[in-house]
Amino acid sequence: MEKQPGKQAATEPADSGAGGGGGELPQVAGAQAARPEDRLTLLLRLRAQTKQQLLEYKSMVDATEEKAPEQILQDKQVEAKIEDLENEIEEVKIAFEMKKLALDRMQLSTALKKNLEKNNPRTSVLMDNMKHILKLNKLIMKSHQESWDLEEKLLDVRKKRLQLKQASESKLLEIQTEKNKQKDDLAVMENSDKIKAIQQNLQMEIQITTVIQHVFQNLILGSKANWAEDPAFKETVLQLEKNLTMI
Amino acid sequence: MSVLRPLDKQPGLNTATILLVGTEDALLQQLADSMLKEDCASELKVHLARSLPLPSNVNRPRIDLIMFVVNLHSKYSLRNVEESLRHVDATFFLGKVGFLATGAGRESQCSVHRSTVVRLARTYRSPLLFCDPEVDGFRVPVAQRLVRMLQICAGHVPGVSALNLLSLLRSSENPTLEDL
Repeated sequence: MEKQPGKQAATEPADSGAGGGGGELPQVAGAQAARPEDRLTLLLRLRAQTKQQLLEYKSMVDATEEKAPEQILQDKQVEAKIEDLENEIEEVKIAFEMKKLALDRMQLSTALKKNLEKNNPRTSVLMDNMKHILKLNKLIMKSHQESWDLEEKLLDVRKKRLQLKQASESKLLEIQTEKNKQKDDLAVMENSDKIKAIQQNLQMEIQITTVIQHVFQNLILGSKANWAEDPAFKETVLQLEKNLTMI
Repeated sequence: MSVLRPLDKQPGLNTATILLVGTEDALLQQLADSMLKEDCASELKVHLARSLPLPSNVNRPRIDLIMFVVNLHSKYSLRNVEESLRHVDATFFLGKVGFLATGAGRESQCSVHRSTVVRLARTYRSPLLFCDPEVDGFRVPVAQRLVRMLQICAGHVPGVSALNLLSLLRSSENPTLEDL
């Protein structure tokens, strides 16, 4: 008896709990979609389904049998335990995948061997493929080597640059210390007593000369001589005007 | 019964049932319609509910997958989902529960932060999907994903179990969670 797979949608009236409350949702009419399917295919599919569901139920039964009664764990412990279990699942999955890969590889290699023994090994397409693979592998190795060499060179250049930078850094440091030393020496020198005495003398001389300048100026002005006419005279007067402290 | 348990009933032949829990009826209806439009070899049944617990007087088939729909625009839907989570048995969370967050596209109207939902999904170790149901282009892929998840959780896909799918989905989530 061929079963027509149909599709339906049904809604549930939700239980009105404390404060909340659902309501009745209208029922939706189902849409009949018929898929043309072979009887045999259908039966095989149902068989696979039932197998899978049986597996699920079996595993649940095993799980509930194994579980020993545990005491109430705290939140953090529960989280840690869950993560451990998850990691276990992942590890089992990975191990299974690797075993499957190894098995596939073994099967493939035996099939290849048998195929090679059967056919003429010189002319088979397989040999061409293998030779091509070998050629490509050689190319790969060569380009790997080249890129490795280039990387080495790059590394050397970088090292040299670093060394140069360090050398320049030390040189600049030296220059700075020298400059600082010079500045210190200058400061020390300026503070010495000799300099102070010399400076005092200089000040005295400047003041004396300024007084003399003013005296001459007043003399010339007092004499009511026209100093603007004669250029040599003018120059002398202007020179007297010079402020000696600025020199 | 006030607590939902997986595998407590016999599965229907070639039938897969999904339960969508959420406060927005129109949204759930849209999702249900998109899912039913999908091409699927098994018979799909979609149950919609506002909140758990479900009334025990109704005869319903075994529920294979529960999707909690949280609307990021309303804090009420988040609270509703948190309330309903208490009525689900712990064994359900081995791959048969998922979270669906909607409305993440309009950042200005989101009253629930994205990280809250991410943390919720992380606490319950369940996958989190995002969906913007108004845009038709988003709804169809999400419906396809849901249908595929449902098929796996109902045991219709040989070789893949719900727990397997869970660990598959998990490994892509964890790196981003570490950044949070």
